[in-house]
Amino acid sequence: MAVQTKLNSPIAEFNGVSFRYDKGPDILKDIQFTLAPGSFHFMTGESGAGKTSLLSLLYLYHLPTKGRVRLFGYAVDEMTRREKAHLRRQIGVVFQDFRLLNHLTAFDNVALPLRIAGVKESEIRRHVSELLVWVGLEDRMKTLPPELSGGEQQRVAIARAVINRPNLLLADEPTGNVDDAMAKRLLHLFLELNKLGTTVVIATHNEGLIRHFGFPRLHLEKGHLSVIPQNQYKEMASKLFNRGGSQ
Amino acid sequence: MIKQNNILFTTDSSRLFLPWMSMLMGFIAVLILAAGITSYRSITDWQRVVSGSLTVQIPTYTGSGESRAERVGKDIETALTILRSSPGVQGATVLSDNQMAELMNPWLSDDMVVSELPLPKLIDVVVDSNEYPDIAQLKMDLSSQVPSAVLDSHRMRLEPLLKLASGGIKLISFILILLALTAAFTVIYATRTSLMAHEHIISLIHMMGANDWFIIRKYAVRHFVLTFMGAFFGFLLSLPIMAGISFLIRGATLDFIWNSALGLPEWIALLSVSVVLAALAFLTTCKTVSDYLKRFL
Repeated sequence: MAVQTKLNSPIAEFNGVSFRYDKGPDILKDIQFTLAPGSFHFMTGESGAGKTSLLSLLYLYHLPTKGRVRLFGYAVDEMTRREKAHLRRQIGVVFQDFRLLNHLTAFDNVALPLRIAGVKESEIRRHVSELLVWVGLEDRMKTLPPELSGGEQQRVAIARAVINRPNLLLADEPTGNVDDAMAKRLLHLFLELNKLGTTVVIATHNEGLIRHFGFPRLHLEKGHLSVIPQNQYKEMASKLFNRGGSQ
Repeated sequence: MIKQNNILFTTDSSRLFLPWMSMLMGFIAVLILAAGITSYRSITDWQRVVSGSLTVQIPTYTGSGESRAERVGKDIETALTILRSSPGVQGATVLSDNQMAELMNPWLSDDMVVSELPLPKLIDVVVDSNEYPDIAQLKMDLSSQVPSAVLDSHRMRLEPLLKLASGGIKLISFILILLALTAAFTVIYATRTSLMAHEHIISLIHMMGANDWFIIRKYAVRHFVLTFMGAFFGFLLSLPIMAGISFLIRGATLDFIWNSALGLPEWIALLSVSVVLAALAFLTTCKTVSDYLKRFL
């Protein structure tokens, strides 16, 4: 059964969510937040604050230890395996370590979500080629990931995450290995998708980007989440930088 | 552009391991099945030959020709009366001199010699294979009135051989079951090894929304093809061995005992070993991968 996004439902709703690995300490504690359809958030926090864990709950890799997660209006703990698989196809993920498949070319890596979704090969060829041109990899389509630079691998990973126009795009440090110009270019790609309706969450340490785009932040500190709205963040940043704290 | 199945698989040991093991198992299974088929057919032939008839011998007597012929004739009449009235006997007829000559022809060739020899008279007894006569009782009845009559039941002589052969068929069935189990365990081992080697890929495509059947199908189809190829090659390798055994049986003129010739249905059965092994690999792989995927949410 194909899972359709429920009309007017939030993309994600976390109610009292805690999470830990096995018998370890709680990585996330009593998380409460909602992602509205078409919103754009940065996710910030120190290393080890729980950003990757929070993202893994969003892309259905883990279930919360406590509390309830609803995605696209569905309680994930009540979904069947088949329904979860359909839901995952609406989520694009850019992993911090890229997770490219080394035995597939850049083209085939990007084509992977479409092949899983059963899209026709002719359409796959057209869409993938267009996107790889857009991210500046038109001459690297047949190259295997180990032969690509870090920045090129990152662009392949991003192209793979956005190729099927996901409803929710999650990116863990997507601009960590590219220069500022390419980082902005990639962020503009995310913005374009956002304008088309994709909800975007980007975990990043890049204060320059956060400042430049000024979207609201999901800030994690020692497992606790606080949502900093766009205006409030701009005010905070303005105060901070007016005091001469340039970064 | 990559082939669909290569999404999942890089080179791993199962790609070589599975065809080689399948070849070995296919080879053994085909030879064992061929032995089983020929055993079964030979037993059936023996049973068919011996189950429908008995022979009674009435010896001739020394003495003057007339009294001898009278005594033999009397004994034959008595024996025929006893036989025809016995339960399980459908008919009893005395072999004519011509039939006797024909029977002895391979050894004595000359009809004249046959008529001169004091050969016993033979009574061919046709029995009901569904209600086989009580041989011991029949012997007793005959010996009480025709003491010189000899009842010859081929079935009694072949009984131990039939038991041995049907025991052999049971053993062959057992070995085939063991082979099937070994094949299943081999597939489970190869599948688990491959799953572990490809865990990062499976985890990734699972996160991208691949449903269980997408992954199961790729493994199951791959293992079906690898097993079929291996087992079919095993079948091809068994052909010269079977031809050699058949040649030896015929060379030793044992083919009247052991029918080693195979007909079309038997060849189809032997060919189907590859398909059965491949189907077993398919089903075993489906179950193994399905169980493995339960670790993912």
